[in-house]
Amino acid sequence: MKHFTKQARPLLDRRKFLSGAVQGLAGIALTTLLAEERARAASPIIDPTQPFASRNPHFKPKAKNVIVVFCSGALSHIDTFDFKPELIRHHGKPLPGNEKLVSFQGPNGNLTQPLWKFRPRGQSGKMVSDLVPHIGDMADELCFIHSLTNTSNTHGPAENLMNTGFTFDGFPSMGAWVNFALGTENQDLPAFVAIEDPRGNPQSGPNNWASGFLPPAFQGTPFSSTKPIRYLNRPTTISSASDEATRKAIGFLDEQNALNYPGDSELAARISSYELAARMQLSVPEAVDLKSEPEYIRKLYGADSSNQLKADFANNCILARRLIERGVRFVQLFNGAYASGGELNWDGHSELKDQYDVHGEILDQPVAGLLKDLKQRGLLQDTLVVFATEFGRMPMFQMGTYGRDHNPYGFTCWMAGAGVKPGVSYGATDEFGFKATENICTPHDFHATILHLLGLDHEKLTFYHNGIERRLTNVHGHVIRDILS
Amino acid sequence: MRIPRRLIFAAFIVGQSLFAAEGASDPNQTAGVSFEQDIAPILEAKCLGCHNPNQLKGDFSMATLEEIQAASEEYVVPGNAADSMLYWITLPLDEGEAPEMPEEGDALTEEETKKLAAWIDAGAEWPEGLVLKEASKADENWWSFQPVSETELDSIDAFIEAELREEGLVMNPESGRRTVIRRVTLDLTGLPPTPEEVETFINDPDPRAYEKLIDSLLASPRYGERWAQHWLDVIRWAETVGFETNIQRPNAWPYRDWVIESLNGDLPYDRFIFEQLAGDTVGEDAALGFLVAGPANLPPQVGRDEAAMRGARQDELDEVVRTVGQAFLGVTIGCARCHDHKFDPILQSDYYSMQAIFAGLAYGERRHRGPENDAWTSDIPRAREQLETTQVELEALRKKYGLRKAIEDVHTDSILPVRAQAIRMRIEATGNGKEASLYEFEVWSTKEGNIESTNVALAEKGAQPSASSFALANQSRHFDNLVDGSIDKRQAFPWVSKETGPAWIRVDFAESATIDRIIWHRGSSIPAAYVIEVLPPDSDKWHEVAHTRDRLLRSDDTRKADAVHFESLDQEETQLIVRKTAALRSAERELARLSAGPRVYAASFTENPEATYLLRRGDSMQRLNEVLPDIPKVLGELAIAADVPEAERRLALANHLTQPNHPLTARVLVNRVWQHHFGTGLVETSSDFGYMGAAPSHPALLDWLAGTFVAEGWSLKKLHRLILSSKTFRQSSSPQTEALSVDADSRLLWRFPPRRLEAEALRDSILSVSGKLNFEMGGQGFDFFNQRGGLSDYLPKETFDESGWRRMIYAHKVRMISVDIFGAFDCPEAGQMKPNRTRSITPVQSLGLLNSPFVNRQAAYFAERLYQEVGDNLDAQIDRAFSLALSRPPSLNERQQLIALAEDHGLEQVCRAIFNTSEFAFLQ
Repeated sequence: MKHFTKQARPLLDRRKFLSGAVQGLAGIALTTLLAEERARAASPIIDPTQPFASRNPHFKPKAKNVIVVFCSGALSHIDTFDFKPELIRHHGKPLPGNEKLVSFQGPNGNLTQPLWKFRPRGQSGKMVSDLVPHIGDMADELCFIHSLTNTSNTHGPAENLMNTGFTFDGFPSMGAWVNFALGTENQDLPAFVAIEDPRGNPQSGPNNWASGFLPPAFQGTPFSSTKPIRYLNRPTTISSASDEATRKAIGFLDEQNALNYPGDSELAARISSYELAARMQLSVPEAVDLKSEPEYIRKLYGADSSNQLKADFANNCILARRLIERGVRFVQLFNGAYASGGELNWDGHSELKDQYDVHGEILDQPVAGLLKDLKQRGLLQDTLVVFATEFGRMPMFQMGTYGRDHNPYGFTCWMAGAGVKPGVSYGATDEFGFKATENICTPHDFHATILHLLGLDHEKLTFYHNGIERRLTNVHGHVIRDILS
Repeated sequence: MRIPRRLIFAAFIVGQSLFAAEGASDPNQTAGVSFEQDIAPILEAKCLGCHNPNQLKGDFSMATLEEIQAASEEYVVPGNAADSMLYWITLPLDEGEAPEMPEEGDALTEEETKKLAAWIDAGAEWPEGLVLKEASKADENWWSFQPVSETELDSIDAFIEAELREEGLVMNPESGRRTVIRRVTLDLTGLPPTPEEVETFINDPDPRAYEKLIDSLLASPRYGERWAQHWLDVIRWAETVGFETNIQRPNAWPYRDWVIESLNGDLPYDRFIFEQLAGDTVGEDAALGFLVAGPANLPPQVGRDEAAMRGARQDELDEVVRTVGQAFLGVTIGCARCHDHKFDPILQSDYYSMQAIFAGLAYGERRHRGPENDAWTSDIPRAREQLETTQVELEALRKKYGLRKAIEDVHTDSILPVRAQAIRMRIEATGNGKEASLYEFEVWSTKEGNIESTNVALAEKGAQPSASSFALANQSRHFDNLVDGSIDKRQAFPWVSKETGPAWIRVDFAESATIDRIIWHRGSSIPAAYVIEVLPPDSDKWHEVAHTRDRLLRSDDTRKADAVHFESLDQEETQLIVRKTAALRSAERELARLSAGPRVYAASFTENPEATYLLRRGDSMQRLNEVLPDIPKVLGELAIAADVPEAERRLALANHLTQPNHPLTARVLVNRVWQHHFGTGLVETSSDFGYMGAAPSHPALLDWLAGTFVAEGWSLKKLHRLILSSKTFRQSSSPQTEALSVDADSRLLWRFPPRRLEAEALRDSILSVSGKLNFEMGGQGFDFFNQRGGLSDYLPKETFDESGWRRMIYAHKVRMISVDIFGAFDCPEAGQMKPNRTRSITPVQSLGLLNSPFVNRQAAYFAERLYQEVGDNLDAQIDRAFSLALSRPPSLNERQQLIALAEDHGLEQVCRAIFNTSEFAFLQ
């Protein structure tokens, strides 16, 4: 028969899943469409009764799961990981060739040296500043990319680009693409978890973990050590016996209804969604319960800190590890909240030193603790840790302030763990850290590389939407092969 | 033995070379080869897709011969095809093997390679100035660009049955009346029928019972409330701006009401289009909300560099072009922003021509004309009189007390010429109580003979500013801003004091000067009480030159009377001045409010739009030639002059779209309507009728519906009647084993395809069944969140009062933030257009329906309602619950189970269970 079906609703593709559905009608279908499917091949086929079932990647992956630590507000590469002796030498002088540079917020002042001292770290001697000494101690594990660029110098669009591949709102996030492609190992937990910073949502908010035009099943589920999943538990006014009896009644009524529709995969999926919900009610609290973590682990992350924000963020880092241990595919761990004049995130326009001293304390030890803990448990072999931000900051202070303006021309991100070379630095900015000049990378390259490490070809992972087979990497992106181990 | 690949290749070329030489010697082979007719189409279809000036794959473009030869002379060797890489690389390496090029897509056919060889051998003539373009996959012959065709059949059922017959299938029998009324009521109104409506219908002996039912449902205001959402999805309408600030557009709701009213009033679709594009020309301002439905970043969120500002403007217009292209035409014109459309015959220049139609457009609020506006306008004379009276009274007081006029936003203090080495302004209070602030502080020298007066308070002249303090904000608030000579508020910044209360600024001149004027520009506040003093040369005593002690107050001066001091007035007189100033302020505000009129967030237009340019790779900094307003070439042309008034551009577009014989407009619309009746459109990709879209399942039916729709006056309600009256719609949704094996998606419509209800219908149905649905229509929406926009978290509201029990279409729509509980049911977040919602099924949905306070509270109300309506007889309660929620009586089994549940755990749990069932959530 003729074909007039797009791959618009893979979750619901009855044709492919009738044979697997609960009642009857075994062996139907699969015929014609599979032939088509072979041609397009690389995009996943989703079983509506098990949308999160583990699915095969395109090729053998180096990494099974991912943790993305995202610093919202634009972390200054100048003051952390991108050491520039010339900047120190030229401190107080104008940026040569750009003396009157107007950037996001307006005119800039003179070059300003890093506000923290850089020191060599680890065997590699990588220069990392005193703002992040614990992360610095892990330098031998890290693979720095110093030449990231962004096309937007505005937080929202730039954060969108880093996390969804597009500056606009409404495109699927990287985690949603991965969830769509690979499903997850543990059916009792969400496949993709977005852990908010204890201070609040990042600037692009839920767009950072949205499913866009992918089915919402693949969006990130937001929860953290301080903020539970909504409506996970039955209302306190309903006893467990009543709850169970009601669920049984729902199951009974749904099965009665399904009798009229033998083989209907949507009705079957709905019944299984209630079963999955029940399992989540048991497994999520277990994963979130950090009481079983021994004291030395809590100390490693800094969860014992008297600084409540640091302790909360440290707990989020422990939670990220526990989720990965339990087979969750993709964890986003946000550090920094919404736009707040740099008070709650890394947007240090005016008082960078004072504000970063606060933020650095919260970020540093917990992230380093996470790396160490993953390593000592052997989890770093299968887990890719990505450390990212939306753009960097200018080597100058803004005119009339003690902070730095947005710099999309060059900034630093790093990766660690499964599949990447440890203790190396890739790409570079110019002598002042103003613009990327060597091995310039786009967010698309960055995404292509992460997908590659997960065994996915970024050009083949597509989804039809409004006229285009969409990709995380739009029509761009090259795997950064030089950093692969 | 393995022969090295290159060797085989070389041998092969030799062979081919012989052939080519032969070919070249045969006049019949070459004479007929024309570059334009034979070669260009091959190159455009098979090479330019990658080797174009935008993509430059392999670092070269094949758009011109120069570019090809600049890349390598080996690519084309005129007169020698065998040595030309362009030729041999397209040949199969071995029989059955793919050639090296093209890497993507089909290889050249043998005929094509022969033509290519012949062309090169004949000298590779490339007509002067001819630039090749990548060929789109579909051209002007694509089905959806063809006129709507006449059809042989003339009823929906005839078309459907014809296709079914071809597959050996038959339609299901008609559904029972209970099923039909439930289905059609949910479909048209998004609410289940009441038990009374069900009983009336199933007992109605009138053969026209079903027609009457459809008529009454279409006449119900609930119809517009349901179907308006379908349109809002298509254009991703929302009431916040999106992106990081995501602040609210508080007056966007009139557009939503306009859509609902248009549907309820059966506004003909051609008129519906016209008003959304050019409603301002006929006083329908709210309709223009259509053009600005999408997200747009706020000016302060755009960088101050030129590239960022131009880019943001391009993004704004891009949203408009996408909206118009997809919503009305079903063509993804937006894909041609950076390059010619890869799939459809839309050129990059077409994109910018469409953009030029809207070059005069601005996002923001505009006057909302209509009865309310008229009432406000007629009130203006009264308000003006009030203002004038107050002004006269205040002026009389001013004269009586000998006060000077109030200070201005840019204020000049003229002083007697005085020699000064420095000057300072001591600000004692600001008019609004905020931190002292000035944009610029100018001090002008006295004109002496031929020496012109100049501003000596400029950094570039060596002036040194200082101040009591300055604020540390995201942007510079430094006192350097006072003397930077820049008052352009996009590029310059004010000085702002760190604290409220008294503050001072000072400027030391490079050398002493004789001065006679001080001009200062207000900042975020205005100095209300201040003195200006100068420091004469070689002196350390400041000398006062200007003050405000005898100035009338500005109307925006909100200080209390006890904070105001006039040098010559007593307390009572001061109070009188302060009171009158407040009266003036409120009179001014009232007049301004009335003059501005009621506001609506809708597109507004400048009469002199900026020129539109083709942009290289869509980069707003790389302007190419200017482009005039027009529609895509494949659809014809608007034929309007470059200098027609702005609105003419949009009128011309509206006229074009609403021509009765337009190939796309009616097809796209009837398909959308079909989609919402059957769950899937005849064309599944309802905003994409191009190459990447899906083919129509019933092309002839699509054309018949489109033709009928236009012939019947573009009436949506007539179209609904036509579709709903069909057997196809009324047939049962039961599965047939055999049909499923052929057509599991029921696209051939051998049954009515069951589907899960949308989020809105589900929430509204819960409220309707619990008896709590608030039928208030229109106006400001209710809130799902604790705030309407802003930078920080949106916390969902968990409990609602009656105002939150309105239909969900009246919820204030926050972009990019998923609505609590119901967002998980694939409710679009309005970031991108969503003409087809997904219908996913997830555990998060189940958790929300099971455990949220909203659903549990409504379950309690539902139980309460049952007690009220049928007393405490459990049997009757269960019966009533089923008829209210599921439009049917329970089976014996169901009754027993639920009675047991109610006896052990309460009736509320029965209600909770029913709200969670698939039957309640599905249209079956």
